[in-house]
Amino acid sequence: MGFNSLPFLLFFVAVFTLYWFPLREKTKAQNVLILLASWFFYGYASLKMLPLLIGATVAYYGLGIWIRNCRSEKQASWISALGVVLGVGLLLYFKYFNFFIESFASLFGVMGLQTNWRTFDIILPLGLSFVTFKLISYCVEIRRGKIEPETDFIAFAAYVAFFPCLLSGPIDRPQFLGQLHKTRAFDYDTAAEGIRQFLWGLAKKVLIADRCVYVIDPVWENIGEASGSSLLMAALLYTFQMYTDFSGYSDMAIGTGKLLGFRVTRNFNYPFFSTNVAEYWRRWHMSLTSWLTDYVFMPLNVRFRDWGKMGMILAIIINMVLVGLWHGANWTFGVFGLYHGLLFVPLILSGAFAKRHKLKDGWMGLPKLSDLGGMILTFLLVTIGLVIFRAESVGQAWQFLSGMAHLETLKGFWLFFLHPDFRTKTILIVALMAIEWWNRSVEFPLVPMKDYHWTARYAIYLGLACLLIMLWGKNLTFLYIDF
Amino acid sequence: MQREELLLQIQEIFRDVLDDEEIVLEPATTADDVEGWDSLTHIQLIVAIEKHFKIKFTSKEILSWKNVGELVDCLASKLA
Repeated sequence: MGFNSLPFLLFFVAVFTLYWFPLREKTKAQNVLILLASWFFYGYASLKMLPLLIGATVAYYGLGIWIRNCRSEKQASWISALGVVLGVGLLLYFKYFNFFIESFASLFGVMGLQTNWRTFDIILPLGLSFVTFKLISYCVEIRRGKIEPETDFIAFAAYVAFFPCLLSGPIDRPQFLGQLHKTRAFDYDTAAEGIRQFLWGLAKKVLIADRCVYVIDPVWENIGEASGSSLLMAALLYTFQMYTDFSGYSDMAIGTGKLLGFRVTRNFNYPFFSTNVAEYWRRWHMSLTSWLTDYVFMPLNVRFRDWGKMGMILAIIINMVLVGLWHGANWTFGVFGLYHGLLFVPLILSGAFAKRHKLKDGWMGLPKLSDLGGMILTFLLVTIGLVIFRAESVGQAWQFLSGMAHLETLKGFWLFFLHPDFRTKTILIVALMAIEWWNRSVEFPLVPMKDYHWTARYAIYLGLACLLIMLWGKNLTFLYIDF
Repeated sequence: MQREELLLQIQEIFRDVLDDEEIVLEPATTADDVEGWDSLTHIQLIVAIEKHFKIKFTSKEILSWKNVGELVDCLASKLA
């Protein structure tokens, strides 16, 4: 049940009512409810994989306590390493096993050797990539002495399976467990903010992401016959689709968390206002990139620290390739990561990498021209990356990009805007960017609404509701459910 | 060397690396309290501290400090 479906609404209303009425201020009972609701939510999506989720939870609960009870430092290192290996092993098995078999078989094929290796019927358990990252960081944080192992199994299991974030993140760190031990008093302002954030996420998903699909998919199905300008349009729209879909999902997850009194970690910080790619990655899928920064980039960077800038380049390239491959077993994801890693090289060499750029308002509160140039360049570089990301093979990505790269492309491009449907999309996207720009200092653009007069608030709700009703298409699943 | 003295020297390194003369470090200071101290500049700070005191931290030490006080403790134990 996706956040944009009726079953989820019914499910959530039931959980919310139980949570805040009979169980109000009974923290332990609320945690039991969260856990049962989360396991039900997971079982509803994929009953077969529920035992795996429960098994992994039990295993890591035990590992955490084991690390603390170790007699020697060395033993503790081994046990936490076991936790990391187990998590990575789960990912390798479910996500990459068939890929390795196919790759080796084709490698032997190239060498003229026949193999009769068969791929296995492995289904990727939903949310596995997100859950294993939570579990790995739990072991590492205990080992680094940053947290104590959790002794309350219910709280630990509720953290691992917390339903708003279970299927596609955001990836909360184990420090989240602190919130499960505190008494959660119902706070009207937080709950209202949660509803607004959910609504904002839903609007992005329904009004933009779901409407872009119908333009993008047909182009990808016929790359050979599509004109350069259609390819360019499909590529640009895909960047907006990816953003509105995934950030929309994240807002809905965070909003749901707030309705239950939790602060879920932020996942997006207006990424299209980044003036370079390094900045972009600090603002896009932040819970994944900060995870990899802490557990991959930093340890590598520490190890390579005496090699100066070369060490940093090496660390960032390894890190970005892993960001890519985390999405799945396909060379396209590896190339996507490598491409982004290489985009960091000039930034590291010039020193722009470490600098924080503060955006200032220019004429009439609009972005300054120099910043706007950086934003557009970054957006285009990201768009090229997402073509590689979306393609089924590296060859297909190449076909797409080379089909786009001629002068004719720009000539025909403007014709799209003669079409009313494109005009609606363009207006919605431009409106989104403008609303985001003027609200870029707050978590999501509807935050300032709390101070509006009630008439203005309800006018906004009514306006959004009308737009949603008018433009609601088919209920489409979220893109990141596949990862 | 006294801890206070070490803290002052580290503060000088921070000011130099982060290019901000107004940084004041206390044992309880964390990366969240100092503008510009993030995962990237952290490495530059470590390298500068290692060079200044002619010592070498291990990876585990670098990744486990929770605040400036723990950094100073670790440094003091190396210099003792």
